[in-house]
Amino acid sequence: MNRRVSLPPWVGRLLACLGGSVVLAMMVGKQQGSKDDYGLAFREAVLNPRIFYFLLVGVLVFLGITYQDVVRRYAGRPGVRPLLAGVLILLASYFLMKWYDPLGDGKLATFGAAVTSTPAVAPVARIFFGWLWWVGLLVTAAATAAAIVWRLRWLAWASAAVSVLVGAIAVAAHSLAVSFAGGIDHSFGAQTALIGNLVLAGAGVVAAMSRVETARTREFVERVMAFRPGLPLVAMGVVLGVLALVAATWFDPGGKNLTLVDTQHLFAGSALSGVASAYLAWLGYAVFAVVVVLAATAVWTAQKTLGYVAAGGAVVAILVTLATLHDISATATKAGYPGSAGEWQNLGTGGWVLCIALFSAGAGGLIAARRAPVIAPEPALARGSGALGRLHQVGTSTTLLSLTLFGVGLALFYPPTATAFWQQALVTDIGVYVLLAIGLNVVIGWAGLLDLGYIAFYALGSYTTAYFTGSLPVQPPIHLSPLWAIPVAIAVCLIAGVVLGGPTLRLRGDYLAIVTLGFGEIIRIIAVNNPGDFTNGPRGVARAVPHPVIDLGFIRFEWGGSQLQYWYLLLVLLALVFLLFWRLEGSRLGRAWAAVREDEVAAQATGVNTTRVKLLAFAIGASTSGLAGVFFASQVGYFNPQNFILNNSILVVAFVVFGGMGSLTGAIAGAAVLTWLPDFLRDQVPSEDRIMWIGAVLIVMMIFRPAGLIPARRRKAELTGLAGHDPSVDQDLRAVPAGEGV
Amino acid sequence: MSHAVPSSEGRGATESRKRLLDVVDLEVRYGAITAIKGISFHVDEGEIVALLGANGAGKTTTQKTVSGMLRPAAGSITFDGHRIDGIPPHELINLGVCHVPEGRHVFPRMTVEENLQMGGFRFRTPDQDLLTEVLDMFPRLKERFTQQAGTLSGGEQQMLAIGRALMGKPRLLLLDEPSMGLAPLIVEQIFQIVRGINANGVSVLLVEQNARQALTLADRGYVLETGELVLAGSGRELLADDRIRAAYLGEELAG
Repeated sequence: MNRRVSLPPWVGRLLACLGGSVVLAMMVGKQQGSKDDYGLAFREAVLNPRIFYFLLVGVLVFLGITYQDVVRRYAGRPGVRPLLAGVLILLASYFLMKWYDPLGDGKLATFGAAVTSTPAVAPVARIFFGWLWWVGLLVTAAATAAAIVWRLRWLAWASAAVSVLVGAIAVAAHSLAVSFAGGIDHSFGAQTALIGNLVLAGAGVVAAMSRVETARTREFVERVMAFRPGLPLVAMGVVLGVLALVAATWFDPGGKNLTLVDTQHLFAGSALSGVASAYLAWLGYAVFAVVVVLAATAVWTAQKTLGYVAAGGAVVAILVTLATLHDISATATKAGYPGSAGEWQNLGTGGWVLCIALFSAGAGGLIAARRAPVIAPEPALARGSGALGRLHQVGTSTTLLSLTLFGVGLALFYPPTATAFWQQALVTDIGVYVLLAIGLNVVIGWAGLLDLGYIAFYALGSYTTAYFTGSLPVQPPIHLSPLWAIPVAIAVCLIAGVVLGGPTLRLRGDYLAIVTLGFGEIIRIIAVNNPGDFTNGPRGVARAVPHPVIDLGFIRFEWGGSQLQYWYLLLVLLALVFLLFWRLEGSRLGRAWAAVREDEVAAQATGVNTTRVKLLAFAIGASTSGLAGVFFASQVGYFNPQNFILNNSILVVAFVVFGGMGSLTGAIAGAAVLTWLPDFLRDQVPSEDRIMWIGAVLIVMMIFRPAGLIPARRRKAELTGLAGHDPSVDQDLRAVPAGEGV
Repeated sequence: MSHAVPSSEGRGATESRKRLLDVVDLEVRYGAITAIKGISFHVDEGEIVALLGANGAGKTTTQKTVSGMLRPAAGSITFDGHRIDGIPPHELINLGVCHVPEGRHVFPRMTVEENLQMGGFRFRTPDQDLLTEVLDMFPRLKERFTQQAGTLSGGEQQMLAIGRALMGKPRLLLLDEPSMGLAPLIVEQIFQIVRGINANGVSVLLVEQNARQALTLADRGYVLETGELVLAGSGRELLADDRIRAAYLGEELAG
């Protein structure tokens, strides 16, 4: 008899953890080898000191799994999550982010080595870059952890104080070293280190002050957000605004970073308009102060009128700021300041950040004015009004609204400060796919129909635009500008959606997926095969699709000058589609979709015309895709059938699932994150590995957060219990079967 | 639903009742298979009528055809004087025919409240008074008002499915095996509720395997066997019928 030798289970576990860390270490490391480098790359990767860090992490994971009972007992305590977050932020700051741009890779290790080897640098900087950064991290993290485990309040307080100190020293040391070395530095390493240390300090404070056994982060956040609706936004506005006014660059001709005060000196006595001069001298501070005070008062006293006044004031202040920014750049260019590159150029981050701050404060005022509904503790029955009207509101607190509004502020005013590469990425990768994901969310998330050929409608929209702008070999009866092609493309996709959906929507699940998949490929192959010399085959369109033009006679604007213009066009389209869909979700049709997705038989029994409703979802999704196609065609100019491969359809499905099926904000977030990630990873990991990392992110996400980034209310409830009412029932509800998915 | 339906005179006055549903020579096919082979039956206003039969006898097929989910191959279905065969369910519900499908079919991820509101989907604005009325009829649903329907017990889900159908203000309620998979005590409750609904003037066409209880409840009953009607009569008559007792009630025939 052969008897198998059985090892104790922990051996396998340990080997798995260590093996995993070796693999990870090699994934992260440089991989310059080739198949005939005689294993050099492997050797480099393995002998790199990095591998020991990873092995250490592997051992920690092993210990965590082996003693998971103990770990679990402490992992739920208040302060653990902020502790982890702080450590991660600090690690990112120390090992990923740049600390000084002019020097080599600019990371902390490089910069720190240079600083410590220069005796003339201020001692604080030498101490920080010498040892304090890592000693500080180790000591504060360990002390906070110990304070959490043994409930030592004094230690928690002390550790929090040390964290704040280390954070302050980091910023001071960085600015001392940079002022010693000179040069232009746009790095965020030191600021990130400050944030990380503040989060660590927060962990200490939470550990010191909290008296509960298990942390209820969500409840805590909700309580903070509900304390005064809009207050967090106003606070954010204050912080950002002060930073912008005091520290940030407002004008950077020829590499000089001028703050607001410097800019005022520079433009003293120039041809700057009265408002702009006043803005630089005092008006800027004044409007900011007025908006912030108004918003804060509105938020604190929950005054409706005051809230609207604050929001209006913020709009005015933003307009004044933008006018000033334009005036600065235009005047400087006209006067021929060295390094000035034209209108809207050379404007550092200051003005734009102040706009974000003003927007944030104004949004806070608006929330205070609207008094967005907060989770009501009493049962729904007690609230008198029609229950269906509230479908949207139940479980909606101001948290998501605040985040969304802040995101809008960022979307409006962040892109001008981004590099050309990121502006391009924002428009071509992120923006278009966000639009596609919103559309597909209607089909998959709301109506529950798995559509794997979604990109076909995108192709139809693109080719329709190309046809009507005369960019295909076959000329149209009438030439249209791309903007006029929008309704035509929407109509074409609507019809295509109905034609495809009519006969196929009686299929369900897998069958529908296969049919749509086939449809997607058919459209692409038709485009390749070039029937009747219509599509110009695999070479793509014959002539560039023109840029959109608005021509009202007295005013004419043509897109194409920069990616930013397309970004704002895209924002307008996104906003329109978002508002439309947001209304749809709560409408009668939205309920019908929900019913069909939940149970088609029951939907039929309650009087829903299931065929019509499904067809509508299909057609609406298709026309959104067509709209995205119009935008894409006129933005890139040239495109070919390769842009519409199956892979793209699958990507959009992944975005929707990743973001949270059935959640509008989730679809946006999912598409944004997953399209941003490859561009972000470009600088961080070897390019061949990028897709693998994205796959890893997807897998981790689906294991730990299957409902998506921002789950739809229904799915969230399904996975975590009822709209956050009684935490004690959560455990029972987890046992409820998850349903059939899509 | 007293305000939805002109109140009938209650149980017992069989002769004076108006014919509500009239099914004549109904034939239903699944492809080449004829599932229903020309049956005729009727439901009068205010009546509870039970369709009985073993598995595969065609009870559910009959009911699905009445509710518009299946199209008849031949024969006619008349509701309140209108031909309704071939009318899809979402239009039929506007005439007041509400169907509680077999196997409960609640919307699992909607709350009890939303499920009930979906029942009133055919009305543009939901009727709050009707909601209160339904909740009074099902106190359990009131307790679970904000809970997801998928988390309810089987009996509660069945109550919810019935309550949801009531939100559509039915004149004729089609109940498909409401006792399926439920504990005897719960079945008893459900049948009590059906009796209550009927007392409010709603006619009920009940499909059941649980013959004894169905017949105790029903004014009249029909027995289906492989797509054909083999027996018809009042509930009491059928309960006393030897063949029924042997086939469905599992009783030994005396002598």
